[in-house]
Amino acid sequence: MRKTKSKYRVLETLSPILGVLASVLVLLVIAMIIGEMPGKTLNAIYKFTLASASRLSTIFSVAIPLFLAGLAVAVAFQANVFNIGVEGQYFVGGLVGAMAGIYLRLPVYLHLPVVVLASMAGGALWAAIPALLKVRMGIHEVITTIMFNNIAAALVNFLVNGPLSGRGEKSLEPQTLKIQSTALFGKLNHWFNAIGLKVPKHVYLDYSLIVAIVMGFLVWFLLYRLRQGFEIRAVGTSLEVSQYAGIRVKRVQMTAFLASGSLAGLIGLQEIFAIRGVYTFEIAAGLGFDGIAIALIGGNSPVGVIFSSVLFAFFKQAGYGLQLYTAVPNAIIYVISGLMILFIVVINEVTTRYIRALRRKEAA
Amino acid sequence: MFFPTLLDFLFRGLEMSAPIAFCALGAVFCEKSGVVNIALEGFLSVTAFTVVWGSIAFQSVWMGLAFAVASGVLMSLMHAVATVTFRVNQIVSGVALNTLAVGVGRFLSQKVFEQETQSAANSYMFPTVLHINSFTFVLIPVVAACWFVLYKTVFGLRLRTVGENPEAADTLGISVNSLRYVGVIMSGVMCGLAAMVLYPSKWVNGMTGGRGYIALAALIFGRWHPVYAVLAALLFGYADTFRIMFESKIPIPSQFVQMLPYVLAIVVLVAVRGKSRAPAADGIPYEKGE
Repeated sequence: MRKTKSKYRVLETLSPILGVLASVLVLLVIAMIIGEMPGKTLNAIYKFTLASASRLSTIFSVAIPLFLAGLAVAVAFQANVFNIGVEGQYFVGGLVGAMAGIYLRLPVYLHLPVVVLASMAGGALWAAIPALLKVRMGIHEVITTIMFNNIAAALVNFLVNGPLSGRGEKSLEPQTLKIQSTALFGKLNHWFNAIGLKVPKHVYLDYSLIVAIVMGFLVWFLLYRLRQGFEIRAVGTSLEVSQYAGIRVKRVQMTAFLASGSLAGLIGLQEIFAIRGVYTFEIAAGLGFDGIAIALIGGNSPVGVIFSSVLFAFFKQAGYGLQLYTAVPNAIIYVISGLMILFIVVINEVTTRYIRALRRKEAA
Repeated sequence: MFFPTLLDFLFRGLEMSAPIAFCALGAVFCEKSGVVNIALEGFLSVTAFTVVWGSIAFQSVWMGLAFAVASGVLMSLMHAVATVTFRVNQIVSGVALNTLAVGVGRFLSQKVFEQETQSAANSYMFPTVLHINSFTFVLIPVVAACWFVLYKTVFGLRLRTVGENPEAADTLGISVNSLRYVGVIMSGVMCGLAAMVLYPSKWVNGMTGGRGYIALAALIFGRWHPVYAVLAALLFGYADTFRIMFESKIPIPSQFVQMLPYVLAIVVLVAVRGKSRAPAADGIPYEKGE
């Protein structure tokens, strides 16, 4: 009996791996159609991802905001909430965080946690309206969050160009005033160098990594060690059963939605507080949508999201390698990530069915 | 002065509404059969590219139409295979296809036009009538046909039954899966038609601007009915036209005017909450009893 159980386990963990392999295969086939031999394609990917300490550590740097994005989406998904609005939530969250970094005068040890909390509050705030519309009025969050993404983009554009613009700062693009030095995120590269991992100076492994690790742990603790987390997962597994069990579904979904929004607020930390030191409308867009893919590939668990965010960062970098060394356009990465999600969910569905059939046979 | 502006507004509004309306009609078929489709935005961004590609490559607008419809069908087939055959979560599949679609346009544009974010200019288009794309008017017979098919034919009755009560349909010997395939594929076809009006003179990355999602709001506001959904699409299209024509004349920051269609969508959804009901089996994969 025990043996068969572990067999199911193997099948379950195998499906994401198979999905990733299948999509890499598709990538190689498309490259071949364009006229690039698989050897050359793989070599281009290798050169841009694993060939040097600089490349390798860049993957982890890129993975930090992606991890937070994946985590944000995953928490919501766990409670059966589709937060497609992470995109807008991190634009607003980042701006609120930046405001705290610009206008508050605090010592370093207070200023850093304050900007992190302000970013979370901003993200949660932007998630609150769709969350309320969902639990109070039953309006599906998929559409409202998408609309809120567009509204956030316009709102942030207005604020950065207007009331919050840092007039007089020399810049081609509209931006805020500079963030005070007490709120800027330093790099941790020397820590890694001290333990023998080579991380070149130009790579950003900054305080946002600590935030990501802490948040990852907190989410894991919430989901698997607290009653609230149990309720979130119960609601995600079955709405009806949870209702019968006396779980206040709406409240749980509200909590998960707000937690998701506050995590989303952190996505911009690295770019705003470590790389740029100002907030602009030009901060990297699209991470919220990447987060959806990452959460799904990682099976919506914090541990899974660690792997899928690093994988996603790997593919992002691989895309640049392909662009540079082969005739395959960078945009292929989006095609591949889309296919990867499809493959994983389809394979997952097939194995679940297979396992169910096996169990039934066993029972008979 | 006033009168020509008004006429201009009326016709341009119709042209602006047509892509949303076509998408919404596609969504009606898809969701009436019981499949939620949030990938309309992705379908539209692919067809918006293929219409330009096909027209330029074959120097014929008809080939553009063929390319647009074929690529829409191809995209929708992927959704159908995933959600109907493999019964995966319909929103997850939609998200995946939206991600994929972002890449498809940019990938093909890089290969075909050697630029990632825009295509070459296309001059093979349907003629303009009353200063707007004449394909806009195709919407009118299409709406009528959709209504007729859905409510006056056996096929339409079956399609709706499959979306309301697949078990009953199954018992009556109706193939739930094949009807759902048809429903989903119709959304691909309609997104192909939408691309004919959207902006067939050139493809620019991101040009769909959320119209696929606005179409979903129109679908709900229009209570999953083809005629009402198109009327709802007109509301959004005219709001957008108003924004474009009068943005510079209104004394409030342009960014607030840009929010208009999205805020309107939220307001509309709040207004019809509880009154607009989705087909009962919408979004639920159907598994044949064993």
